[in-house]
Amino acid sequence: MSSPCRRAAPLLEPFGDGELAADKVAEVETHIADCACCRETLELNQSLKMSLRRAAHADAEPTTDFAERVARALSAERERQEARAARREAQDRGRPLAWRFIVPVAAAAGATLVWGALEQQGKSANDDARVSVNMATSTPGVTASLDQMVDELVSHHATSKDPDVVEPSLVNKLEPEVGVPVRVPSLQQYGLRWEGASVVPVRQLNHRAASLRYSFDGHRVTLYVYNSAQFPLRATLEPRVVRNMPVYVGSRRGYSIAAVEKRGVGYAVATDLDDRESAELVASIH
Amino acid sequence: MKLLTSSSKAKTAGADFEREAVLHLGALLGVATRMTRNPTEAEDLVQDTLVKAMRARDQFEAGTNMRAWLLRILTNTFINRYRRGGLEKAVLEGPDADPLADGWVSASTMASMRDPESAALRPVLEAEIRSALDELPEEFRLAVVLADVEELSYREIADIMGCPIGTVMSRLHRGRRLLKTRLYSHALDMGIVSPEPVVGKRRVRGEGEDRDDPVSLAEYRAKKAGTR
Repeated sequence: MSSPCRRAAPLLEPFGDGELAADKVAEVETHIADCACCRETLELNQSLKMSLRRAAHADAEPTTDFAERVARALSAERERQEARAARREAQDRGRPLAWRFIVPVAAAAGATLVWGALEQQGKSANDDARVSVNMATSTPGVTASLDQMVDELVSHHATSKDPDVVEPSLVNKLEPEVGVPVRVPSLQQYGLRWEGASVVPVRQLNHRAASLRYSFDGHRVTLYVYNSAQFPLRATLEPRVVRNMPVYVGSRRGYSIAAVEKRGVGYAVATDLDDRESAELVASIH
Repeated sequence: MKLLTSSSKAKTAGADFEREAVLHLGALLGVATRMTRNPTEAEDLVQDTLVKAMRARDQFEAGTNMRAWLLRILTNTFINRYRRGGLEKAVLEGPDADPLADGWVSASTMASMRDPESAALRPVLEAEIRSALDELPEEFRLAVVLADVEELSYREIADIMGCPIGTVMSRLHRGRRLLKTRLYSHALDMGIVSPEPVVGKRRVRGEGEDRDDPVSLAEYRAKKAGTR
Protein backbone atom coordinates (compact mmCIF):
# COMPACT_ATOMS: atom_id res chain seq x y z
CA MET A 1 0.00 0.00 0.00
CA SER A 2 1.41 3.39 -0.94
CA SER A 3 1.50 6.01 1.75
CA PRO A 4 -1.40 8.13 0.37
CA CYS A 5 -3.43 4.88 0.35
CA ARG A 6 -2.45 4.20 3.92
CA ARG A 7 -3.79 7.64 4.88
CA ALA A 8 -6.98 7.19 2.90
CA ALA A 9 -7.71 3.59 3.93
CA PRO A 10 -9.36 4.31 7.31
CA LEU A 11 -11.44 7.07 5.71
CA LEU A 12 -12.98 4.93 2.99
CA GLU A 13 -15.69 3.27 5.06
CA PRO A 14 -16.87 6.43 6.84
CA PHE A 15 -16.82 8.10 3.41
CA GLY A 16 -19.06 5.38 1.98
CA ASP A 17 -21.31 5.62 5.03
CA GLY A 18 -21.68 9.38 4.60
CA GLU A 19 -20.10 9.98 7.98
CA LEU A 20 -16.96 11.85 7.00
CA ALA A 21 -16.32 15.52 7.83
CA ALA A 22 -16.33 17.85 4.80
CA ASP A 23 -12.54 18.47 4.74
CA LYS A 24 -11.84 14.75 4.80
CA VAL A 25 -14.39 14.13 2.08
CA ALA A 26 -12.36 16.42 -0.20
CA GLU A 27 -9.18 14.54 0.71
CA VAL A 28 -10.73 11.18 -0.16
CA GLU A 29 -12.19 12.50 -3.40
CA THR A 30 -8.82 13.85 -4.49
CA HIS A 31 -7.16 10.56 -3.66
CA ILE A 32 -9.59 8.25 -5.40
CA ALA A 33 -9.43 10.34 -8.55
CA ASP A 34 -5.96 8.88 -9.16
CA CYS A 35 -6.05 5.64 -7.19
CA ALA A 36 -7.87 2.76 -8.85
CA CYS A 37 -7.34 0.49 -5.88
CA CYS A 38 -9.06 2.74 -3.34
CA ARG A 39 -11.76 3.54 -5.86
CA GLU A 40 -12.45 -0.15 -6.29
CA THR A 41 -12.44 -0.69 -2.54
CA LEU A 42 -15.13 1.96 -2.24
CA GLU A 43 -17.16 0.42 -5.06
CA LEU A 44 -16.88 -3.01 -3.54
CA ASN A 45 -18.00 -1.67 -0.16
CA GLN A 46 -21.05 -0.11 -1.78
CA SER A 47 -21.84 -3.33 -3.65
CA LEU A 48 -21.59 -5.26 -0.41
CA LYS A 49 -24.01 -2.83 1.21
CA MET A 50 -26.53 -3.28 -1.61
CA SER A 51 -26.23 -7.05 -1.52
CA LEU A 52 -26.65 -7.13 2.24
CA ARG A 53 -29.72 -4.95 2.09
CA ARG A 54 -31.34 -7.28 -0.46
CA ALA A 55 -30.32 -10.49 1.23
CA ALA A 56 -31.11 -9.52 4.80
CA HIS A 57 -34.79 -8.95 4.24
CA ALA A 58 -35.46 -11.64 1.68
CA ASP A 59 -36.17 -14.29 4.30
CA ALA A 60 -37.69 -11.96 6.88
CA GLU A 61 -40.85 -10.53 5.38
CA PRO A 62 -43.61 -10.37 8.01
CA THR A 63 -46.41 -12.79 7.20
CA THR A 64 -50.02 -11.65 7.38
CA ASP A 65 -50.54 -13.94 10.35
CA PHE A 66 -47.68 -12.38 12.21
CA ALA A 67 -48.79 -8.83 11.40
CA GLU A 68 -52.25 -9.67 12.75
CA ARG A 69 -50.82 -11.26 15.87
CA VAL A 70 -48.78 -8.12 16.56
CA ALA A 71 -51.76 -5.88 15.90
CA ARG A 72 -53.83 -7.89 18.39
CA ALA A 73 -51.08 -7.76 21.01
CA LEU A 74 -50.79 -4.00 20.63
CA SER A 75 -54.53 -3.43 20.85
CA ALA A 76 -54.66 -5.61 23.94
CA GLU A 77 -51.87 -3.58 25.48
CA ARG A 78 -53.64 -0.33 24.61
CA GLU A 79 -56.83 -1.61 26.20
CA ARG A 80 -54.90 -2.54 29.33
CA GLN A 81 -53.50 0.97 29.47
CA GLU A 82 -56.89 2.55 28.92
CA ALA A 83 -58.48 0.37 31.60
CA ARG A 84 -55.75 1.44 33.95
CA ALA A 85 -56.32 5.11 33.15
CA ALA A 86 -60.03 4.59 33.79
CA ARG A 87 -59.28 2.94 37.12
CA ARG A 88 -57.07 5.83 38.09
CA GLU A 89 -59.87 8.22 37.34
CA ALA A 90 -62.22 6.14 39.45
CA GLN A 91 -59.67 6.19 42.24
CA ASP A 92 -59.27 9.94 41.99
CA ARG A 93 -62.95 10.17 42.71
CA GLY A 94 -62.24 8.40 45.97
CA ARG A 95 -63.55 4.91 45.37
CA PRO A 96 -61.42 2.45 47.31
CA LEU A 97 -60.26 -0.78 45.73
CA ALA A 98 -62.22 -3.89 46.48
CA TRP A 99 -59.48 -6.06 47.85
CA ARG A 100 -58.47 -3.63 50.54
CA PHE A 101 -61.93 -4.22 51.97
CA ILE A 102 -61.80 -7.96 51.67
CA VAL A 103 -58.57 -8.38 53.57
CA PRO A 104 -59.55 -8.05 57.20
CA VAL A 105 -62.80 -9.92 56.81
CA ALA A 106 -61.43 -12.89 54.94
CA ALA A 107 -58.34 -13.19 57.06
CA ALA A 108 -60.28 -13.13 60.33
CA ALA A 109 -62.93 -15.60 59.19
CA GLY A 110 -60.38 -18.01 57.80
CA ALA A 111 -58.23 -17.90 60.87
CA THR A 112 -60.90 -18.76 63.43
CA LEU A 113 -62.43 -21.55 61.44
CA VAL A 114 -59.47 -23.56 60.31
CA TRP A 115 -56.59 -22.68 62.51
CA GLY A 116 -56.75 -26.00 64.33
CA ALA A 117 -56.56 -28.04 61.17
CA LEU A 118 -53.77 -26.00 59.73
CA GLU A 119 -51.59 -26.17 62.75
CA GLN A 120 -51.05 -29.79 61.83
CA GLN A 121 -50.37 -28.94 58.23
CA GLY A 122 -48.07 -26.15 59.20
CA LYS A 123 -46.09 -28.52 61.33
CA SER A 124 -45.61 -31.07 58.61
CA ALA A 125 -44.76 -28.27 56.21
CA ASN A 126 -42.05 -27.17 58.59
CA ASP A 127 -40.68 -30.69 58.70
CA ASP A 128 -40.50 -30.71 54.92
CA ALA A 129 -38.80 -27.39 55.05
CA ARG A 130 -36.15 -28.66 57.37
CA VAL A 131 -35.40 -31.52 55.04
CA SER A 132 -35.11 -29.17 52.12
CA VAL A 133 -32.89 -26.82 54.07
CA ASN A 134 -30.60 -29.68 54.92
CA MET A 135 -30.47 -30.67 51.29
CA ALA A 136 -29.67 -27.16 50.30
CA THR A 137 -26.98 -26.57 52.86
CA SER A 138 -25.32 -29.92 52.27
CA THR A 139 -24.69 -28.95 48.65
CA PRO A 140 -21.05 -27.91 48.36
CA GLY A 141 -20.54 -24.18 48.15
CA VAL A 142 -23.93 -23.32 49.60
CA THR A 143 -23.29 -21.73 52.93
CA ALA A 144 -25.73 -18.92 53.16
CA SER A 145 -29.00 -19.22 54.96
CA LEU A 146 -32.47 -18.94 53.56
CA ASP A 147 -32.63 -15.56 55.21
CA GLN A 148 -30.02 -14.32 52.81
CA MET A 149 -32.04 -15.68 49.93
CA VAL A 150 -35.06 -13.78 51.10
CA ASP A 151 -32.80 -10.74 51.26
CA GLU A 152 -31.76 -11.37 47.70
CA LEU A 153 -35.36 -11.39 46.56
CA VAL A 154 -36.09 -8.24 48.50
CA SER A 155 -33.07 -6.50 46.97
CA HIS A 156 -34.23 -7.63 43.57
CA HIS A 157 -37.70 -6.30 44.28
CA ALA A 158 -36.32 -2.99 45.54
CA THR A 159 -34.03 -2.41 42.56
CA SER A 160 -35.52 -4.40 39.71
CA LYS A 161 -34.89 -3.05 36.26
CA ASP A 162 -36.99 -3.26 33.14
CA PRO A 163 -38.59 -6.67 32.72
CA ASP A 164 -37.27 -9.00 30.00
CA VAL A 165 -40.66 -10.16 28.80
CA VAL A 166 -43.72 -7.97 28.76
CA GLU A 167 -46.10 -9.97 26.65
CA PRO A 168 -48.11 -12.20 29.05
CA SER A 169 -48.46 -14.99 26.48
CA LEU A 170 -44.66 -15.27 26.23
CA VAL A 171 -44.04 -15.65 29.95
CA ASN A 172 -44.24 -19.44 29.72
CA LYS A 173 -40.90 -19.23 27.86
CA LEU A 174 -39.27 -18.71 31.24
CA GLU A 175 -40.32 -22.18 32.31
CA PRO A 176 -37.12 -24.00 31.23
CA GLU A 177 -35.00 -21.53 33.17
CA VAL A 178 -37.08 -21.68 36.31
CA GLY A 179 -38.01 -25.35 36.22
CA VAL A 180 -41.66 -24.93 37.13
CA PRO A 181 -44.67 -23.75 35.07
CA VAL A 182 -44.81 -19.96 34.90
CA ARG A 183 -48.06 -18.25 34.01
CA VAL A 184 -49.34 -14.80 34.64
CA PRO A 185 -52.01 -14.99 37.33
CA SER A 186 -54.82 -12.59 36.68
CA LEU A 187 -54.75 -10.07 39.47
CA GLN A 188 -56.66 -7.46 37.58
CA GLN A 189 -59.66 -7.67 39.83
CA TYR A 190 -57.46 -6.30 42.57
CA GLY A 191 -56.43 -3.40 40.40
CA LEU A 192 -52.95 -4.75 39.74
CA ARG A 193 -51.45 -3.78 36.46
CA TRP A 194 -49.19 -6.28 34.74
CA GLU A 195 -45.74 -4.88 33.85
CA GLY A 196 -43.59 -7.81 32.80
CA ALA A 197 -41.45 -10.75 33.81
CA SER A 198 -37.76 -11.56 34.28
CA VAL A 199 -35.66 -14.40 35.58
CA VAL A 200 -33.92 -13.78 38.90
CA PRO A 201 -30.85 -15.83 39.71
CA VAL A 202 -30.83 -16.79 43.39
CA ARG A 203 -27.08 -17.04 43.80
CA GLN A 204 -27.15 -18.68 47.21
CA LEU A 205 -28.83 -21.78 45.86
CA ASN A 206 -27.75 -21.67 42.26
CA HIS A 207 -31.41 -21.60 41.46
CA ARG A 208 -33.60 -19.33 39.40
CA ALA A 209 -36.97 -17.85 40.13
CA ALA A 210 -39.30 -16.04 37.76
CA SER A 211 -40.27 -12.56 38.84
CA LEU A 212 -43.56 -11.18 37.62
CA ARG A 213 -43.93 -7.50 38.18
CA TYR A 214 -47.14 -5.60 38.70
CA SER A 215 -47.90 -2.11 39.82
CA PHE A 216 -50.70 -1.20 42.09
CA ASP A 217 -51.73 2.30 42.92
CA GLY A 218 -48.14 3.55 42.73
CA HIS A 219 -46.77 0.55 44.61
CA ARG A 220 -44.55 -2.01 43.03
CA VAL A 221 -45.60 -5.61 43.51
CA THR A 222 -43.26 -8.44 42.53
CA LEU A 223 -44.56 -11.99 42.41
CA TYR A 224 -41.86 -14.65 42.48
CA VAL A 225 -42.57 -18.09 41.07
CA TYR A 226 -40.12 -20.84 42.00
CA ASN A 227 -39.63 -24.50 42.74
CA SER A 228 -40.67 -24.71 46.39
CA ALA A 229 -38.74 -27.92 46.99
CA GLN A 230 -35.45 -26.25 46.13
CA PHE A 231 -36.31 -22.97 47.69
CA PRO A 232 -38.21 -23.55 50.95
CA LEU A 233 -39.01 -19.92 51.65
CA ARG A 234 -41.69 -20.89 54.15
CA ALA A 235 -38.98 -22.04 56.54
CA THR A 236 -37.95 -18.49 57.32
CA LEU A 237 -41.42 -16.94 57.38
CA GLU A 238 -44.29 -17.04 59.86
CA PRO A 239 -47.26 -19.24 58.97
CA ARG A 240 -50.64 -17.55 58.92
CA VAL A 241 -54.05 -18.51 57.59
CA VAL A 242 -55.75 -16.55 54.87
CA ARG A 243 -58.87 -17.84 53.10
CA ASN A 244 -58.40 -21.29 54.63
CA MET A 245 -54.89 -21.51 53.27
CA PRO A 246 -51.50 -21.47 54.93
CA VAL A 247 -49.63 -18.34 53.93
CA TYR A 248 -46.08 -17.62 55.09
CA VAL A 249 -45.45 -14.02 55.94
CA GLY A 250 -42.47 -11.94 56.92
CA SER A 251 -40.91 -8.56 56.43
CA ARG A 252 -37.47 -7.29 55.52
CA ARG A 253 -36.23 -3.72 55.31
CA GLY A 254 -39.74 -2.33 55.24
CA TYR A 255 -40.97 -4.67 52.51
CA SER A 256 -43.45 -7.39 53.27
CA ILE A 257 -43.17 -10.86 51.85
CA ALA A 258 -45.92 -13.44 51.70
CA ALA A 259 -45.62 -16.90 50.19
CA VAL A 260 -47.90 -19.79 49.34
CA GLU A 261 -47.08 -23.16 47.88
CA LYS A 262 -49.24 -25.04 45.46
CA ARG A 263 -48.36 -28.41 43.97
CA GLY A 264 -44.65 -27.90 44.40
CA VAL A 265 -44.67 -24.37 42.99
CA GLY A 266 -43.94 -21.51 45.35
CA TYR A 267 -45.45 -18.07 44.88
CA ALA A 268 -44.13 -15.18 46.92
CA VAL A 269 -45.06 -11.53 46.70
CA ALA A 270 -42.78 -8.73 47.77
CA THR A 271 -44.43 -5.36 48.23
CA ASP A 272 -44.23 -2.23 50.29
CA LEU A 273 -47.86 -2.76 51.31
CA ASP A 274 -48.53 -4.04 54.80
CA ASP A 275 -48.11 -7.75 55.43
CA ARG A 276 -51.84 -8.41 55.70
CA GLU A 277 -52.39 -7.01 52.26
CA SER A 278 -49.48 -8.98 50.83
CA ALA A 279 -50.81 -12.16 52.42
CA GLU A 280 -54.26 -11.56 50.99
CA LEU A 281 -52.82 -10.92 47.59
CA VAL A 282 -50.72 -14.06 47.43
CA ALA A 283 -53.60 -16.15 48.78
CA SER A 284 -55.74 -15.07 45.86
CA ILE A 285 -53.46 -16.69 43.30
CA HIS A 286 -55.02 -19.71 41.69
CA MET B 1 -65.19 16.77 31.83
CA LYS B 2 -61.51 17.42 32.23
CA LEU B 3 -60.85 13.76 33.01
CA LEU B 4 -62.72 12.71 29.94
CA THR B 5 -60.61 14.90 27.70
CA SER B 6 -57.31 13.64 29.07
CA SER B 7 -58.36 10.03 28.74
CA SER B 8 -59.58 10.38 25.17
CA LYS B 9 -56.38 12.21 24.30
CA ALA B 10 -54.38 9.29 25.66
CA LYS B 11 -56.57 6.99 23.58
CA THR B 12 -55.74 8.81 20.35
CA ALA B 13 -52.03 8.90 21.20
CA GLY B 14 -52.09 5.14 21.80
CA ALA B 15 -53.81 4.45 18.50
CA ASP B 16 -51.41 6.76 16.61
CA PHE B 17 -48.44 5.06 18.17
CA GLU B 18 -49.83 1.66 17.25
CA ARG B 19 -50.24 2.74 13.63
CA GLU B 20 -46.77 4.22 13.37
CA ALA B 21 -44.98 1.40 15.17
CA VAL B 22 -46.50 -1.21 12.86
CA LEU B 23 -44.87 0.54 9.88
CA HIS B 24 -41.51 -0.62 11.20
CA LEU B 25 -42.55 -4.26 11.49
CA GLY B 26 -40.48 -5.31 8.46
CA ALA B 27 -37.31 -3.56 9.65
CA LEU B 28 -37.67 -4.98 13.16
CA LEU B 29 -38.27 -8.49 11.87
CA GLY B 30 -35.27 -8.22 9.53
CA VAL B 31 -32.90 -7.27 12.35
CA ALA B 32 -34.50 -9.78 14.76
CA THR B 33 -34.11 -12.58 12.22
CA ARG B 34 -30.44 -11.76 11.67
CA MET B 35 -29.82 -11.59 15.41
CA THR B 36 -31.74 -14.69 16.57
CA ARG B 37 -31.19 -16.68 13.34
CA ASN B 38 -34.50 -18.33 14.08
CA PRO B 39 -37.77 -17.19 12.48
CA THR B 40 -40.01 -18.09 15.43
CA GLU B 41 -37.79 -16.44 18.00
CA ALA B 42 -37.47 -13.43 15.74
CA GLU B 43 -41.26 -13.01 15.68
CA ASP B 44 -41.49 -13.35 19.46
CA LEU B 45 -38.70 -10.81 19.88
CA VAL B 46 -40.44 -8.31 17.61
CA GLN B 47 -43.80 -8.73 19.30
CA ASP B 48 -42.27 -8.29 22.72
CA THR B 49 -40.34 -5.24 21.51
CA LEU B 50 -43.47 -3.54 20.18
CA VAL B 51 -45.50 -4.20 23.32
CA LYS B 52 -42.65 -2.82 25.44
CA ALA B 53 -42.42 0.20 23.18
CA MET B 54 -46.16 0.77 23.44
CA ARG B 55 -45.83 0.73 27.20
CA ALA B 56 -42.89 3.11 27.19
CA ARG B 57 -44.17 5.34 24.41
CA ASP B 58 -44.08 8.42 26.65
CA GLN B 59 -40.30 8.12 26.54
CA PHE B 60 -40.22 8.42 22.78
CA GLU B 61 -39.37 11.95 21.68
CA ALA B 62 -41.67 12.92 18.87
CA GLY B 63 -39.74 13.99 15.78
CA THR B 64 -36.81 11.64 16.41
CA ASN B 65 -36.19 8.41 14.52
CA MET B 66 -38.79 5.94 15.74
CA ARG B 67 -37.18 3.04 13.91
CA ALA B 68 -33.88 3.66 15.73
CA TRP B 69 -35.75 3.90 19.04
CA LEU B 70 -37.58 0.63 18.40
CA LEU B 71 -34.32 -1.05 17.36
CA ARG B 72 -32.77 0.02 20.64
CA ILE B 73 -35.56 -1.66 22.57
CA LEU B 74 -35.23 -4.72 20.37
CA THR B 75 -31.47 -4.92 20.93
CA ASN B 76 -31.81 -4.58 24.69
CA THR B 77 -34.56 -7.18 24.76
CA PHE B 78 -32.41 -9.52 22.69
CA ILE B 79 -29.42 -9.06 24.99
CA ASN B 80 -31.52 -9.52 28.14
CA ARG B 81 -33.30 -12.55 26.89
CA TYR B 82 -30.60 -14.49 25.10
CA ARG B 83 -27.35 -13.00 26.26
CA ARG B 84 -27.46 -12.20 29.91
CA GLY B 85 -23.74 -11.56 29.88
CA GLY B 86 -23.94 -9.02 27.03
CA LEU B 87 -23.22 -9.64 23.37
CA GLU B 88 -21.06 -12.53 22.28
CA LYS B 89 -17.51 -11.26 22.15
CA ALA B 90 -15.85 -10.94 18.80
CA VAL B 91 -13.67 -13.79 17.63
CA LEU B 92 -10.93 -11.55 16.36
CA GLU B 93 -9.46 -9.60 19.22
CA GLY B 94 -6.50 -7.30 19.23
CA PRO B 95 -5.26 -4.74 16.74
CA ASP B 96 -5.33 -5.10 13.00
CA ALA B 97 -2.13 -7.11 12.93
CA ASP B 98 -3.82 -9.49 10.62
CA PRO B 99 -2.81 -11.04 7.34
CA LEU B 100 -6.18 -10.07 5.92
CA ALA B 101 -5.39 -6.39 6.23
CA ASP B 102 -6.93 -4.00 3.76
CA GLY B 103 -5.50 -4.14 0.32
CA TRP B 104 -6.01 -7.86 0.22
CA VAL B 105 -6.78 -8.17 -3.45
CA SER B 106 -6.08 -6.15 -6.53
CA ALA B 107 -8.34 -3.51 -8.02
CA SER B 108 -9.19 -5.73 -10.95
CA THR B 109 -10.26 -8.61 -8.72
CA MET B 110 -12.43 -6.26 -6.69
CA ALA B 111 -13.93 -4.94 -9.90
CA SER B 112 -14.79 -8.42 -11.09
CA MET B 113 -16.57 -9.24 -7.84
CA ARG B 114 -19.21 -6.63 -8.36
CA ASP B 115 -21.84 -6.17 -10.96
CA PRO B 116 -21.91 -2.63 -12.38
CA GLU B 117 -25.49 -3.11 -13.58
CA SER B 118 -27.09 -3.88 -10.25
CA ALA B 119 -24.49 -2.08 -8.11
CA ALA B 120 -24.49 -5.24 -5.99
CA LEU B 121 -22.03 -8.06 -5.79
CA ARG B 122 -21.92 -10.31 -8.82
CA PRO B 123 -24.45 -13.11 -8.52
CA VAL B 124 -23.02 -14.34 -5.30
CA LEU B 125 -26.11 -16.14 -4.09
CA GLU B 126 -28.30 -14.30 -1.66
CA ALA B 127 -28.21 -17.34 0.59
CA GLU B 128 -24.41 -17.18 0.65
CA ILE B 129 -24.48 -13.55 1.75
CA ARG B 130 -27.04 -14.33 4.44
CA SER B 131 -25.07 -17.22 5.81
CA ALA B 132 -21.87 -15.14 5.76
CA LEU B 133 -23.73 -12.49 7.75
CA ASP B 134 -25.27 -15.01 10.14
CA GLU B 135 -21.85 -16.43 10.91
CA LEU B 136 -20.38 -13.10 12.00
CA PRO B 137 -19.83 -12.64 15.73
CA GLU B 138 -22.87 -10.89 17.21
CA GLU B 139 -21.19 -7.56 17.90
CA PHE B 140 -20.07 -7.28 14.30
CA ARG B 141 -23.32 -8.64 12.90
CA LEU B 142 -25.44 -6.12 14.76
CA ALA B 143 -23.20 -3.21 13.69
CA VAL B 144 -23.26 -4.30 10.04
CA VAL B 145 -27.02 -4.90 9.97
CA LEU B 146 -27.77 -1.55 11.59
CA ALA B 147 -25.40 0.36 9.29
CA ASP B 148 -25.73 -1.42 5.96
CA VAL B 149 -29.24 -2.84 6.06
CA GLU B 150 -31.01 -0.31 8.27
CA GLU B 151 -28.82 2.63 7.20
CA LEU B 152 -28.64 4.12 10.65
CA SER B 153 -26.00 6.73 11.48
CA TYR B 154 -22.93 5.92 13.57
CA ARG B 155 -24.45 8.01 16.37
CA GLU B 156 -27.69 6.03 16.32
CA ILE B 157 -25.82 2.73 16.27
CA ALA B 158 -23.63 3.84 19.17
CA ASP B 159 -26.77 4.67 21.18
CA ILE B 160 -28.34 1.33 20.37
CA MET B 161 -25.23 -0.71 21.15
CA GLY B 162 -24.29 1.42 24.13
CA CYS B 163 -20.71 2.04 22.99
CA PRO B 164 -18.61 4.94 21.64
CA ILE B 165 -18.71 5.83 17.95
CA GLY B 166 -15.10 4.66 17.55
CA THR B 167 -16.13 1.20 18.68
CA VAL B 168 -18.98 1.18 16.17
CA MET B 169 -16.51 2.04 13.40
CA SER B 170 -14.13 -0.68 14.42
CA ARG B 171 -16.89 -3.32 14.67
CA LEU B 172 -18.20 -2.29 11.28
CA HIS B 173 -14.76 -2.43 9.73
CA ARG B 174 -13.99 -5.84 11.13
CA GLY B 175 -17.40 -7.23 10.30
CA ARG B 176 -17.24 -6.01 6.74
CA ARG B 177 -13.73 -7.30 6.30
CA LEU B 178 -14.78 -10.78 7.41
CA LEU B 179 -17.73 -10.66 5.02
CA LYS B 180 -15.60 -9.55 2.10
CA THR B 181 -13.02 -12.22 2.79
CA ARG B 182 -15.60 -14.95 2.94
CA LEU B 183 -17.44 -13.73 -0.15
CA TYR B 184 -14.13 -13.45 -1.97
CA SER B 185 -13.33 -17.07 -1.27
CA HIS B 186 -16.82 -18.02 -2.39
CA ALA B 187 -16.27 -16.06 -5.61
CA LEU B 188 -13.02 -17.97 -6.08
CA ASP B 189 -14.83 -21.29 -5.64
CA MET B 190 -17.45 -20.25 -8.14
CA GLY B 191 -14.85 -19.13 -10.67
CA ILE B 192 -16.15 -15.57 -10.60
CA VAL B 193 -12.64 -14.34 -9.88
CA SER B 194 -9.34 -16.04 -10.50
CA PRO B 195 -6.92 -16.73 -7.65
CA GLU B 196 -4.51 -13.81 -7.52
CA PRO B 197 -4.12 -12.02 -4.21
CA VAL B 198 -1.00 -10.35 -5.55
CA VAL B 199 -1.09 -7.21 -3.47
CA GLY B 200 0.18 -8.97 -0.36
CA LYS B 201 3.97 -9.09 -0.55
CA ARG B 202 4.14 -12.56 0.87
CA ARG B 203 2.27 -14.27 -1.85
CA VAL B 204 2.89 -14.16 -5.53
CA ARG B 205 0.79 -15.70 -8.20
CA GLY B 206 1.97 -19.19 -9.00
CA GLU B 207 3.53 -19.76 -5.62
CA GLY B 208 0.39 -21.07 -4.04
CA GLU B 209 2.33 -23.36 -1.71
CA ASP B 210 3.81 -20.47 0.19
CA ARG B 211 0.69 -19.97 2.29
CA ASP B 212 1.48 -17.32 4.81
CA ASP B 213 -1.82 -15.54 4.55
CA PRO B 214 -4.93 -17.65 4.68
CA VAL B 215 -7.76 -16.57 2.44
CA SER B 216 -10.80 -17.83 4.29
CA LEU B 217 -12.17 -17.17 7.72
CA ALA B 218 -12.18 -20.88 8.54
CA GLU B 219 -8.56 -21.14 7.54
CA TYR B 220 -7.76 -18.03 9.50
CA ARG B 221 -9.43 -19.36 12.64
CA ALA B 222 -7.69 -22.71 12.27
CA LYS B 223 -4.35 -20.99 11.84
CA LYS B 224 -4.97 -18.74 14.78
CA ALA B 225 -5.95 -21.66 16.99
CA GLY B 226 -2.84 -23.52 15.88
CA THR B 227 -0.43 -20.72 16.80
CA ARG B 228 -1.84 -20.32 20.31
